Amino acid sequence: MSMDLRIKIGNKILPNPVGVASGTFGYGGEYEKLIDLAKLGAIYTKAVTLEPREGNEIPRIVETPSGILNSIGLANVGVTRFLSEKLPALAKLPCAVVANVAGATEAEYMAVVERLESAAQLWGYEINVSCPNVKHGGMAFGTDPQQIERLTKKIRALTKRPLIVKCTPNVTDITVIAKAAEAGGADAVSCINTLVGMVIDTAAKRPVLPAGTGGLSGPAVRPVGVAMTYRVSRAVSIPVIGIGGIMTADDAIQYLLAGASAVQVGTGTFVDPSIPVKVLEGIVEYCKIEKIASIKELHSRFSQP
Amino acid sequence: MKQFSATIRGNYPLSTGFFELEFTWDKAAPLPEPGRFFTVRVSDNTIPLLRRPFAFSAFDGNEGTASMIFQKRGHGTGLLSAKHKGDTLDIIGPLGQPFPMPDKGKKALLVAGGIGLGPIAFLAQTLRKEKIPVSMVFGCRTASLIPSGDSLAASGTVICTDDGSRGFKGTAGDYLKSIERSVGSGTVVYACGPQPMLKTCHEFAGRRGCACFVSVEQIMACGVGACMGCAVKSAGGGYKRACTEGPVFNSRELQW
Ligand SMILES: Cc1cc2nc3c(=O)[nH]c(=O)nc-3n(C[C@H](O)[C@H](O)[C@H](O)COP(=O)(O)OP(=O)(O)OC[C@H]3O[C@@H](n4cnc5c(N)ncnc54)[C@H](O)[C@@H]3O)c2cc1C
Ligand SMILES: Cc1cc2nc3c(=O)[nH]c(=O)nc-3n(C[C@H](O)[C@H](O)[C@H](O)COP(=O)(O)O)c2cc1C
Ligand code: FES
Repeated sequence: MSMDLRIKIGNKILPNPVGVASGTFGYGGEYEKLIDLAKLGAIYTKAVTLEPREGNEIPRIVETPSGILNSIGLANVGVTRFLSEKLPALAKLPCAVVANVAGATEAEYMAVVERLESAAQLWGYEINVSCPNVKHGGMAFGTDPQQIERLTKKIRALTKRPLIVKCTPNVTDITVIAKAAEAGGADAVSCINTLVGMVIDTAAKRPVLPAGTGGLSGPAVRPVGVAMTYRVSRAVSIPVIGIGGIMTADDAIQYLLAGASAVQVGTGTFVDPSIPVKVLEGIVEYCKIEKIASIKELHSRFSQP
Repeated sequence: MKQFSATIRGNYPLSTGFFELEFTWDKAAPLPEPGRFFTVRVSDNTIPLLRRPFAFSAFDGNEGTASMIFQKRGHGTGLLSAKHKGDTLDIIGPLGQPFPMPDKGKKALLVAGGIGLGPIAFLAQTLRKEKIPVSMVFGCRTASLIPSGDSLAASGTVICTDDGSRGFKGTAGDYLKSIERSVGSGTVVYACGPQPMLKTCHEFAGRRGCACFVSVEQIMACGVGACMGCAVKSAGGGYKRACTEGPVFNSRELQW
């Protein structure tokens, strides 16, 4: 019995459930010499904004126990160069190319999506309403359910493509955010983005990152991501994409059992670029041994606490 | 670039806290060049998590081995210092841009500080093979920190120690000032070491009208240009990625 790896999101199908997370995979080409990109289910691009952004002050990364704290600040080439320089190479791949969209205002998000609609090769959108690293940025949207619902509705009106809303974990109740996205017409929600954290240099008596705080990712956040995926999966009826600290197939299977229909590998790719493909192979192996034929069946095998 | 599993051929202590690690270089991977670097996953555990970047200090085509000189600084380099002959290393490389060769007829002035020795020694070796005149300066705090001091001295390297315990008393930058008049536009400066030393070299080269190439250090997450984590400030405003546009830059491209 072979497993059906396909996942339906909105009006399209992901070839398999393992994608690479936004901001950790550039625009795809950077990792081309190291892994077979054709094996990925989806590539979620670095956030795309209307204008190019230089990003935050340096240093931008500091390591923490089993994690990293980043303050990249949506550094990206902007939508014009994304379309002319980055997308053509990406579009040749058989995997889904999902543009991660960010903005400082509702109008900016909409302008980016309008521009991206012209690119036939794009599979869909992941709306980043949850970056903790931009002041007056996505986070303001990301924590207010009314704004999320309104923004999602407005973007929904612009596109028929799969629309994924990426939720921040930096709220009291992530299910409220996910439900707002669903009410606005999202086809799926992805969770989690990074958790706000701080590392202090005790010799200098100030935070290591000039921005003060940064976003925590990596294995340290995995149990938080699994718990939030579990709760969100029960709160909405659209597919959930699980993200956070995935290093092995077992980590990914935890997300799938918790209710995720697909997963994304982020920081793990930095540590070993072969992880996303190994995760996919491990999921297939597990399902073979467990005689599981689809992700839906995997969900049904989970023993609810 | 290629990811492969290398076998350690030797891990030799050079001086207090400094080691030279020699490992097999995959035949299918592009050849190491001076200034380029590689990343190592130092442990299978999640602490430390990120791969660590290191510059090549040598490449032996006949043996098929590459080397690096490293200093034990924290957890990752501590684990590396405890590795033995026969252990394997998860390597990705070569990465980044190499030191460019000097234009025809020019001399090279090489300046290394501390852990900058590896790439500068590799560059010296490569330039000498090409019969390009090389003078080299190495600076560190004190005599006990000089990696393989005798072979350095034998190669004609000027050794500088902050405390004067060996060679010239003062920093490599102080030494440059002492020879300032003898250096002109026929010289290309190459430098790798601490930021203040690089700045001194950049200013020195500016005063003497010579080109200056520096290799910079920045914390890296991906090492391949994907994360924007390794940004350094560029002269024209904005940032450049140390792992992709660098780590070697014409010093005029950077903001000092
Ligand atoms: C392109 C490049 C080439 C390098 N070449 C060499 C080399 O040839 N020999 C050598 O000994 N070292 C080299 N380094 C520095 C080396 O990567 C760090 O010393 C190492 O990562 C420290 O790891 P750790 O776990 O031991 O230290 P940690 O405990 O992580 O940190 C100890 C100290 O090292 C600094 N550090 C940590 N990671 C990096 C990093 N990626 N880059 C710079 N500083 C860092 C920290 O800020 C801290 O001050 C190079 C760095 C870069 C970016
Ligand atoms: C360096 C870095 C940059 C990131 N940039 C973005 C981004 O541009 N947009 C976004 O939605 N998420 C971004 N993220 C969040 C990741 O996509 C992911 O949600 C998070 O890192 C948790 O997954 P992980 O633990 O597997 O890395 C970034 C994460 C990192 C580490
Ligand atoms: S280390 Fe990721 S872009 Fe340079």
